[in-house]
Amino acid sequence: MRASRALAALLAIASACATPGDRAPGLVVALESEPQSLDPRFATDAAASRVADLVHLGLTRPRDDARRAPALASSWVQPDPRTVVFHLRDGFRFPDGAPVTSADVRATYEAVLDPTLASPKRGALEMVEAVEAPDPRTVVLRLREPFPPLLDATGIGILPAARARAAGEVSEGAGPFRIVHSDPGERLVLAPNPGWPEARPRLDPLVLRIVPDPLVRALELRRGGVSLSQDLPEPELLDWLAADPGLRVRRRPGTSFAYLALNLRDPRLAKRRVRRALALALDREALLAAVLGGAGRPASGLLAPEHWAYAPASLPGRNPARARRLLDRAGFPDPDGPGPQPRLRLVYKTSTVATRRRLAEAIQAQLAAVGIALDVRTQEWATLYADVRAGRFELAAMAWVGVTEPDLYFLTLHSTMTPPAGYNRGGYANPVMDRLTMRARREPDSAVRRRLYARVQRLAARDLPVVPLWWEDRVVVHTARLHGFEPTASGDLRGLADAHLE
Amino acid sequence: MRRRLALLPTTVLGVVLLVFAFLHLVPGDPVEIMLGESAAPADRAALRHALGLDRPWPEQLAAFVAGLARGDLGWSVTYRTPVATLVAARWPATLELAAAAFALALALALPLGVAAAVRQGGTVDRVARWASLGGVCVPGLVLGPLLILAFSIHLGWLPVSGRGGPAHLVLPAATLGLGMAGILVRLTRAATIAALREDWVRTARAKGAPPWRVVAVHAVRTALPPVVTVAGLQAGALLAGAVVTETIFAWPGIGRLVVQAIGARDYPLVQGCVLVIAATYVVVNLLTDLLIAWLDPRVRDAR
Repeated sequence: MRASRALAALLAIASACATPGDRAPGLVVALESEPQSLDPRFATDAAASRVADLVHLGLTRPRDDARRAPALASSWVQPDPRTVVFHLRDGFRFPDGAPVTSADVRATYEAVLDPTLASPKRGALEMVEAVEAPDPRTVVLRLREPFPPLLDATGIGILPAARARAAGEVSEGAGPFRIVHSDPGERLVLAPNPGWPEARPRLDPLVLRIVPDPLVRALELRRGGVSLSQDLPEPELLDWLAADPGLRVRRRPGTSFAYLALNLRDPRLAKRRVRRALALALDREALLAAVLGGAGRPASGLLAPEHWAYAPASLPGRNPARARRLLDRAGFPDPDGPGPQPRLRLVYKTSTVATRRRLAEAIQAQLAAVGIALDVRTQEWATLYADVRAGRFELAAMAWVGVTEPDLYFLTLHSTMTPPAGYNRGGYANPVMDRLTMRARREPDSAVRRRLYARVQRLAARDLPVVPLWWEDRVVVHTARLHGFEPTASGDLRGLADAHLE
Repeated sequence: MRRRLALLPTTVLGVVLLVFAFLHLVPGDPVEIMLGESAAPADRAALRHALGLDRPWPEQLAAFVAGLARGDLGWSVTYRTPVATLVAARWPATLELAAAAFALALALALPLGVAAAVRQGGTVDRVARWASLGGVCVPGLVLGPLLILAFSIHLGWLPVSGRGGPAHLVLPAATLGLGMAGILVRLTRAATIAALREDWVRTARAKGAPPWRVVAVHAVRTALPPVVTVAGLQAGALLAGAVVTETIFAWPGIGRLVVQAIGARDYPLVQGCVLVIAATYVVVNLLTDLLIAWLDPRVRDAR
């Protein structure tokens, strides 16, 4: 009797403590990790760019086809290949009411360009020779040499001129929201920026909560403690969430490119036949289904079909018989027929992320079918990254997240771009590729650039400096009460400024 | 005891040296993680200089220890904020969680262990033994999500994750504390059974002391010192084990901060966090020793 009374008392306490349904007012967005900085001069991590979408305003912002859309700048022209003139829109204000002018743009860009500030974004702007503000509504960027990819770097959030060189963290932006409260490691609370010239955002407050565990993000969505999440890679969780009538699971074709990095300094991988055999051994549709539940598209190269510079390039489909023939001709005959001995043995390095480990197992099985044995090494991310950069790898599972500027081809495939200069980690070198990527980065005419990149894509599909796997879909899960929000390929959250809860 | 106190700074310094050495042995470079690979060599050198990473590492270590002597833990490379500020913001959350888990473990383990010992072989004993085995065996990584599924999703009593009122504390504290409770139940039971067989307990019974008094005063008092010793060691382990629990429950504590700092190779931040954890561990152990001395006259008089 006494025990049951105690139990009843416990239950009463528990239900008194419970927050019914956990439904907070406003919208709660889950972030995978804590933004390391909210200051546009320094922030480089993914979580920080999601906050910047909402709080900061740059001259331009990305579109799904990777061209730039107007933001603070309503338009821009290039009177000559070394000059870009931006015309600013009227009406944008910082949270304190001060209007955003060309002086703020100039001060922000000059601060980032100042080596003493040691901004990690200086490199992206290093082609800028001078920033001019001839009148409050005009900004002129003068470049050292013609460099069309520069536009991609004009998304940097503009700070008030007086604070652009301030020490410490400066986070006042002219975006649709402003930061009103922050609990370190836990949450950021945003409210509409009173100075926003368009329709006042209706999500008030907009809370960004840090929920590191993907399973817990899914549980929070089911329970209502989180109302929007973009980082849910595991297909089983998505199926479970889709079964909830209170939630909507939405997919957009994404731009993140997953691939197998190959170290061409290895004499075996230096042979194109071996690289081709690797590509022929893989069934990318099956890998996608097994690893991501089909949430992606088999890729032919770095640029997804939505990209303005995309050109179709044919990549061989799965053909184990041909792969075996190519390996024979490359000098790797099968030592014992159907016996257990492989033709060659490669080390495959990957990160500890669950989907990546699953990918490693699937690739291992598919390559075994053509006689290639894989030793899988799972490494913590920073170690893997250091190894790949230093060329201490044979095969590695890597991805480019949010591919926008096709100049990435220059940085990844030009023979001079081996680390530390660029991202050519595999040591690929082809004089034709060098010529094409170099010309494309300087070509002011975008139609000509497009033709040059079409040739680059076909050459990359033939040479296979990396084995393309897929373009990962952008999956967004949010409460069915959220209306007016359109997910984007890049994961940009700016659309929340026009969304509302019902 | 004075000698123990004198050992405190030496222990902490040892930890600092070990962490420093290990951090510099692992591959990975904070500058490259921050700037990306294509940064100009001049920018990379400038950032390396600004962060003090271009100095030889004995010099970096000397600077860190000198700062420590002034109470300065240095600046975080990734957050561009003093390490002390970051640690101070997160430390209370970890302490709160560890204290709640510790209290829960003791509140469960002591009564259950004693009851199991008194009714050895009975139903309570069997339940206690199986439950404690479960507590020891199931890791937090599994227990946490299971508790969330049961109490947040199906019953809807408790929030899933995050830090807030007392309701937010229940599931993370249970996830962290149940493993420790499992160990302490078994230990309390064994120690109490041993104590109940002692001569003085038989004497107390023969004198006609009431059964509760025999157990509470004569047996449990004797059984406590080993339990307190292990509880003290486990309290330290709670601080370290909080890493997994904090990640699952989105708890803004120091465990998650240190994991993030390791991923970014933020050397000063890792050092600062480990230092604070180690110092707390040492202090908890010191308090445990004091408590044992107070409980056990043999230890007290041996001073």
